[in-house]
Amino acid sequence: MAFTNEQLERYSRHIILKEIGPKGQKKLMQARVLIIGAGGLGAPAALYLAAAGVGTIGIADADVVDLSNLQRQVIHSTADIGRPKVESARDSMLAINPEIDVHTYYEYITSENISGIIRDYDFILDGTDNFPAKFLINDACVLEEKPFSHAGIIRFEGQLMTYVPGEGPCYRCVFKEPPPKDLVPTCREAGVIGAVAGVIGCLQAMEAVKYITGAGDLLTGRLLTYDALKMQFRTIRLPRDSHCAVCSGERTIHAPFDYELPSCDLKNR
Amino acid sequence: MKIIVAGAEKEYADGLSVEDLIEAEKVETPQYVTVTVNDSFLPNTERTSRILQDGDVVEFLYFMGGGAADR
Amino acid sequence: MAEYRITDTVDITDVVCPVTFVKAKVALEELEEGEILSVHMNDGEPVQNVPRSIKEEGHRVLKLIHNEDGTFDLIVQKA
Repeated sequence: MAFTNEQLERYSRHIILKEIGPKGQKKLMQARVLIIGAGGLGAPAALYLAAAGVGTIGIADADVVDLSNLQRQVIHSTADIGRPKVESARDSMLAINPEIDVHTYYEYITSENISGIIRDYDFILDGTDNFPAKFLINDACVLEEKPFSHAGIIRFEGQLMTYVPGEGPCYRCVFKEPPPKDLVPTCREAGVIGAVAGVIGCLQAMEAVKYITGAGDLLTGRLLTYDALKMQFRTIRLPRDSHCAVCSGERTIHAPFDYELPSCDLKNR
Repeated sequence: MKIIVAGAEKEYADGLSVEDLIEAEKVETPQYVTVTVNDSFLPNTERTSRILQDGDVVEFLYFMGGGAADR
Repeated sequence: MAEYRITDTVDITDVVCPVTFVKAKVALEELEEGEILSVHMNDGEPVQNVPRSIKEEGHRVLKLIHNEDGTFDLIVQKA
């Protein structure tokens, strides 16, 4: 596959980089990344991955664009209110880079469909806002041996970690079970600064680019935390849990499953 | 004794348990926080019995959602 | 007889900075170490910048040929 002059120009800032170069750009153009959640985290991640020329981007979200989303979900516009988020996200990505393929999944990701969907992708970004989904994505990625980026945001803070099969801990090594509903604050109740979503979502995109191109060190075995008020980034070393229910030799979870959906989330949809 | 809590050096009296530290540091929803001591997970059941030593490094890992309501 | 054997040629007269260098860099990437690339370029910005950028990447510039039509051919050995 040879670059066209247009591609050389579009991706020139990547190709000039020693760590990316022509080979890395070709890897990006052949890569398949799935973004689950077209919200605060998925929005910046999707824009940067599309701009980077990731050849195939899948985006999953069952929601429609709401006015309250626009403070941080920069892939959607005011004119998109009421449209499925995946459609609005697809249009924005293709407007930036018509060369890529975008696959939309306008549906909830559940234990029924997750394995079939992630199987088609090289790297998965968890941009969801709820713990049942985060555990589901973790379990499915571990079981399907797919690398993924976990991220969370609240108020002025964010966190990030990367799971690579066979390396480092998974999300369930760190957090055993989802917390009961309403005992841990969510963005809806506690608020979040839009730019924090941007920072953390971009870091997720960065991890995907690094995984695909092989550049640098991934955030495996480490949790990165960001405190915007103190303007501090920290990385905390994470051990593996040798008794982990999904990624250890003592595995008790052999198939993805759904935790009960909190009723208030359903009402708010 | 000096211990490192969430990256910052803190002075505490000897004999401090992890449970005492959680209280002193006003950790939010402590039952849903994962604790590591010297890069190892500390089971919740050992919070009262684990007495911290000079130089120990303690981290609190918090649940964070955020992103999009996908389901 | 030439003192070198050109393995491949690339024409960067159809692009502008910084794609000029990028196109040459991509062409060099395709070669094996020690092989020789001839880069066909315009006068002005390309001839000022591309040889320097290629040297900075560690490659060896063997020759810069000034053609009669005002273009240049830069002969580079891949490092």
